[in-house]
Amino acid sequence: MMLVPQQSLPGRGHVGQSRAGSRMDGVRGKRAQQRSCGKYATTPADNYYLARRRTLQVVVSSLLTEAGFESAEKAAVETLTEMLQSYVSEIGRSAKSYCEHTARTQPTLSDIVVTLVEMGFNVDTLPAYAKRSQRMVITAPPVTNQPVTPKALTAGQNKPHPSHIPSHFPEFPDPHTYIKTPTYREPVSDYQVLREKAASQRRDVERALTRFMAKTGETQSLFKDDVSTFPLIAARPFTIPYLTALLPSELEMQQMEETDSSEQDDQTDTENLPLHMSTDDSGTEKENASVLQQNTSLSGSRNGEENMIDNPYLRPVKKPKIRRKK
Amino acid sequence: MIWKQLLSIMIQHWRFVTTSQSSGISTIFPMPMLLQSVLWTQMLEMENSALRFRQSCGSMLMPKGGLHFVVPNVEGSMAERGAHVFSCGYQNSTRFWFPCVDSYSELCTWKLEYTVDAAMVAVSNGDLVETVYTHDMRKKTFHYMLTIPTAASNISLAIGPFEILVDPYMHEVTHFCLPQLLPLLKHTTSYLHEVFEFYEEILTCRYPYSCFKTVFIDEAYVEVAAYASMSIFSTNLLHSAMIIDETPLTRRCLAQALAQQFFGCFISRMSWSDEWVLKGISGYIYGLWMKKTFGVNEYRHWIKQELDQIVAYELKTGGVLLHPIFGGGKEKDNPASHLHFSIKHPHTLSWEYYTMFQCKAHLVMRLIENRISMEFMLQVFNKLLSLASTASSQKFQSHMWSQMLVSTSGFLKSISNVSGKDIQPLIKQWVDQSSVVKFYGSFAFNRKRNVLELEIKQDYTSPGTQKYVGPLKVTVQELDGSFNHTLQIEENSLKHDIPCHSKSRRNKKKKIPLMNGEEVDMDLSAMDADSPLLWIRIDPDMSVLRKVEFEQADFMWQYQLRYERDVVAQEEAILALEKFPTPASRLALTDILEQEQCFYRVRMMACFCLAKIANSMVSTWTGPPAMKSLFTRMFCCKSCPNIVKTNNFMNFQSYFLQKTMPVAMALLRDVHNLCPKEVLTFILDLIKYNDNRKNKFSDNYYRAELIDALANSVTPAVSVNNEVRTLDNLNPDVRLILEEITRFLNMEKLLPSYRHTITVSCLKAIRVLQKNGHVPSDPALFKSYAEYGHFVDIRIAALEAVVDYTKVDRSYEELQWLLTMVQNDPVPYVRHKILEMLTKNPPFTKNMESPLCNEALVDQLWKLMNSGTSHDWRLRCGAVDLYFTLFGLSRPSCLPLPELGLVLNLKEKKAVLNPTIIPESVANNQEPVISANNGQSMGFQSTEDDHPIKETATSISSHQQGVKRKADMPLGSPLEPGQILEKNEDSKVKLKIRFSNSQEEEEVDMDTVHDSQAFIYHHLNMLERPSTPGKEQSSGEINMHPVSATPLSIFSKESNSSKHSDHHHHHHHEHKKKKKKHKHKHKHKHKHDNKEKDKEPFGFSNSPASGRSIRSPSLSD
Repeated sequence: MMLVPQQSLPGRGHVGQSRAGSRMDGVRGKRAQQRSCGKYATTPADNYYLARRRTLQVVVSSLLTEAGFESAEKAAVETLTEMLQSYVSEIGRSAKSYCEHTARTQPTLSDIVVTLVEMGFNVDTLPAYAKRSQRMVITAPPVTNQPVTPKALTAGQNKPHPSHIPSHFPEFPDPHTYIKTPTYREPVSDYQVLREKAASQRRDVERALTRFMAKTGETQSLFKDDVSTFPLIAARPFTIPYLTALLPSELEMQQMEETDSSEQDDQTDTENLPLHMSTDDSGTEKENASVLQQNTSLSGSRNGEENMIDNPYLRPVKKPKIRRKK
Repeated sequence: MIWKQLLSIMIQHWRFVTTSQSSGISTIFPMPMLLQSVLWTQMLEMENSALRFRQSCGSMLMPKGGLHFVVPNVEGSMAERGAHVFSCGYQNSTRFWFPCVDSYSELCTWKLEYTVDAAMVAVSNGDLVETVYTHDMRKKTFHYMLTIPTAASNISLAIGPFEILVDPYMHEVTHFCLPQLLPLLKHTTSYLHEVFEFYEEILTCRYPYSCFKTVFIDEAYVEVAAYASMSIFSTNLLHSAMIIDETPLTRRCLAQALAQQFFGCFISRMSWSDEWVLKGISGYIYGLWMKKTFGVNEYRHWIKQELDQIVAYELKTGGVLLHPIFGGGKEKDNPASHLHFSIKHPHTLSWEYYTMFQCKAHLVMRLIENRISMEFMLQVFNKLLSLASTASSQKFQSHMWSQMLVSTSGFLKSISNVSGKDIQPLIKQWVDQSSVVKFYGSFAFNRKRNVLELEIKQDYTSPGTQKYVGPLKVTVQELDGSFNHTLQIEENSLKHDIPCHSKSRRNKKKKIPLMNGEEVDMDLSAMDADSPLLWIRIDPDMSVLRKVEFEQADFMWQYQLRYERDVVAQEEAILALEKFPTPASRLALTDILEQEQCFYRVRMMACFCLAKIANSMVSTWTGPPAMKSLFTRMFCCKSCPNIVKTNNFMNFQSYFLQKTMPVAMALLRDVHNLCPKEVLTFILDLIKYNDNRKNKFSDNYYRAELIDALANSVTPAVSVNNEVRTLDNLNPDVRLILEEITRFLNMEKLLPSYRHTITVSCLKAIRVLQKNGHVPSDPALFKSYAEYGHFVDIRIAALEAVVDYTKVDRSYEELQWLLTMVQNDPVPYVRHKILEMLTKNPPFTKNMESPLCNEALVDQLWKLMNSGTSHDWRLRCGAVDLYFTLFGLSRPSCLPLPELGLVLNLKEKKAVLNPTIIPESVANNQEPVISANNGQSMGFQSTEDDHPIKETATSISSHQQGVKRKADMPLGSPLEPGQILEKNEDSKVKLKIRFSNSQEEEEVDMDTVHDSQAFIYHHLNMLERPSTPGKEQSSGEINMHPVSATPLSIFSKESNSSKHSDHHHHHHHEHKKKKKKHKHKHKHKHKHDNKEKDKEPFGFSNSPASGRSIRSPSLSD
């Protein structure tokens, strides 16, 4: 970047054009930006940053003029602006670090100096440079207010800090974010509505499910011309048809368990219901057992006796005798 | 000989003997017997998918019948796949899987060994002595010992990876089921010990075997099969505690099987004609069990149902004979000439006949009980059992084993010994004679004499009926009480005067005593002021096998329905009230419906009757549709009457009612003959709000019936000039129905219901929609559900729809598809069922023109009943039934005429026009003519009966006039009889001899016939068999000796002079036509319906199938 001045020396007067052009570009670019970023909706904050950057560009341009350039390519100006911006930002960031390092919130001059030193800049040259004769003075950028972050919708009043919290601490958030306001809506107790609701809900679920299954799998249809209105899931033969036909489905077993448990509850204590429910999920073993709920007592007693039962089918299989002779 | 050596070894090892031999065993034993003795070692092993069956004396691969193999087509070893095998068959079918004397009367003791894969269990008869590994430890050998003498026919086997459950109450009882079903098995069999207790108590006799095994297997041949000390059940009988409807059915099956253990397995029969005793006793004690378990109402209902069934069947077919007697060796009288099959062997019976036979047997036992009292009856049973069990422990040499066989005469003897009563007339009427009694009753009340004039007529001329003479109980309910009268039904007396006890009176308010002593208040305003009669019942105890059509006024039926406490009377009243669509009937029915003490089946029946009445009085009907308000009151929420309560089926009576009412309501029709919109919405709401979450029981049957209700509500579509059924012109109501069906059917795929009841109902409903023209008729859906691999109930329902489609749309393709399935399906039950359904709902019948009726079909069916089905009697007889339904006894109209117009009748010694060529127009006539000529006019015709035999028999020409010949075969002038023979210049004529009743059919070279007197003798002998006593003397009696000596020429001569035509005939062939002939031969055969010949698969007369082997005790006695 430092090489630019020598190269572009011959072409003075070009800078002016360039500047005008760049300004034009800037305007046009901004418009274009506005247009193209229409959906981004240029916020006040964006405007703020753009204005700063424009000022930097002017600075770079004037420095270039000072150095004797007449014109500069836009890309070069942009690059220089970028470098300048990062340099200034780095100074600021570093200075802030130093200030915070010393437990202050506001950077002082010495912070800046240390920073500059740290960055390898010879501070002593600075006053001289500032007082050079050919320096160009540019007008201060128009004071634009730091954009205010739009306030979220406030609901209610923020709670003031209690006395033991220093005031510089952040404010409480809006009350609605942490205050619980339980609402009591009257539950629907009308039997008819409940039944109606349960029925239609179940029906909807079933319909959706079966439609889904029908859509994803093979189907049969009653009408040749229309396969979608009444899709029937295609009949698929089972390898062992009696199992599905005879064994109660999981749903039924679950249901049975529920009715069983609720029956027990009725007998014992209705208040235990939630507690009971939680213990209910104790695995599949119980599920199987419940199928035979009626027989459990019976088979239980059997298990006890099993050792005594003399049934030929329970006897161990004998080892073959050694053949006497061939 | 090697046999002798083997045998001697055998006898050293353990006793093997049969009843009828006393000495010189090795010399007298026929071949099969030897085999039986050799074959107590059987080894069965599973290798790949083929199960190989090895025996010590040879090996056989996959027997076609006798054993059924179920090998699911999945990954894994045989045991993991649940592959199993079991013995099956109808009557004695054991010889299909090992050589034996397969007769119920040949007893011996058994030692059975089965070597099977180590993961399998072999269950067989007798005690399991031990189980031993083979040397490689990969197989096990099960050793069974059955020390109680048992017929080979009662030997059975089941092998599979069974789960074993020892009965918790009786440790000697073991239950087996297929993998994963153990929980169901536990529940299902938890009841069995009570049945045991019941039988042992009433019979005062311990269960005869030392152990009992129940095996539940898939693809069962029959639901229940009883064998010595074990029973094989269909696995579909298993159920969980949530299932209501299946529970009583399964328990019935268990009880039935157990009853047969005593009578049928332990006590066997002497001969086939004694079968009724065993079936009767086991059915009877099973009935006693029902009475005790399900109550008297259920029992009486069952008896009524069985009685109605047997009566309907006998009236339809002409009779069921329990104890056929085949006139000694001569067998000249065929007691079942009205049937299209022979009842001489169990294996020729139509399945329906056999079911009805069992039904009649136990009803007759009940009649005997009525006669001699239950106490004596049970004593007789006890006597039979204790004799048998004494005999069973004896050694063979003591000749006691025949005590284990029951015969009709022995049974009757012990009845008369025990009770001292003569039941001969009863036996003669119901056992030795087929058919039932039909009463028509009507009455008038004679006010002056205060006498009830009862007129009882009988119809004993229609087929299947007989004349009843004897006592008949009549119960008259009067104002003063109920009175029994025993009328003596005699030949000529039609009218019976019964004095009444009470004067008619209207004013006195008094309670009216009923039969059971109860006294009730009645509203007497409906009755006739002059008559004290409330209602009259004929034969209230069902002590005659009868059908009663009784006329009494509608109010009497209504009183009977309301106040008679007997369920049978109530059911009769409901049936009668269908004819009286009045508000009073409506009220009576509604009252019964609401009455909770009333038997639930009566209430269910009342539902349907009410629907019928409502339809008859549709124009005057007031109020909401019948039963709606009642249903709302009983089953819907109080607060919101359109919503049904959440299901709670704890009360079974109301559960059954809740199931039935919507089905009956859906039968209601409005003035436009449509199902009222209100009813349809109501049913749809029931479906919508159905909520089973809190119910202890499954609601699958209930939901299935709701779908049935939807199907019932469907009425024929209004079709505008045969437009094609599409979705757009779908009736909106039907759209709703279809929506439900679709959802249900799809949900079944995700959450299948028990036994897929819902799928079954959906399929039926879809067929109804198709049939009524709402949905395009298409069998594709049903065909996919009928494939092997679906649950059997689904398959049957789908097949039923296809059968129906075949009939309605006359589709030859579907008929072929069905018949192919009959031949190829792996499940015997399904094959049998297809034929049965086709017979019940035939695509065409004998008197109908149909495009389906063609030669190929005739051939196909003919083939089916004559070859390839020898291992499955039931299937073959099913084919015979179907053939009979489709083509009747005459030559199928689709067949071309036979070349020969005239045939020689060997029996009558004359030539007649070939009866097979009488075309359809005369075909109706032809049947009776034939039977009349045969002197077998019992069953089919009553009109023809009085024709003098001469007339029918005389002229061939009269036959010929009736013949419309097809154009290509002009007969020309009527042939003179005898002409034919002259035409046959060549003496070397091939004669095809056909004997109507023996179905013997042979090609005979006449040269040899000339010489062979023995041959002619043989055939004449056979000819003798079929006639009926009474009719026979005039026509048939052939003097066989002269004839047998007569050369052929005499035949022709005689044929000229003979006055009797017959359909026995010879076909004369030219040699060159022989080939074609063969084909025809087949087609003729069916005409003569007796199948003795082809029912004897092994072709020897003393085949075990005949049930009367030469050494059978029945003959030796």
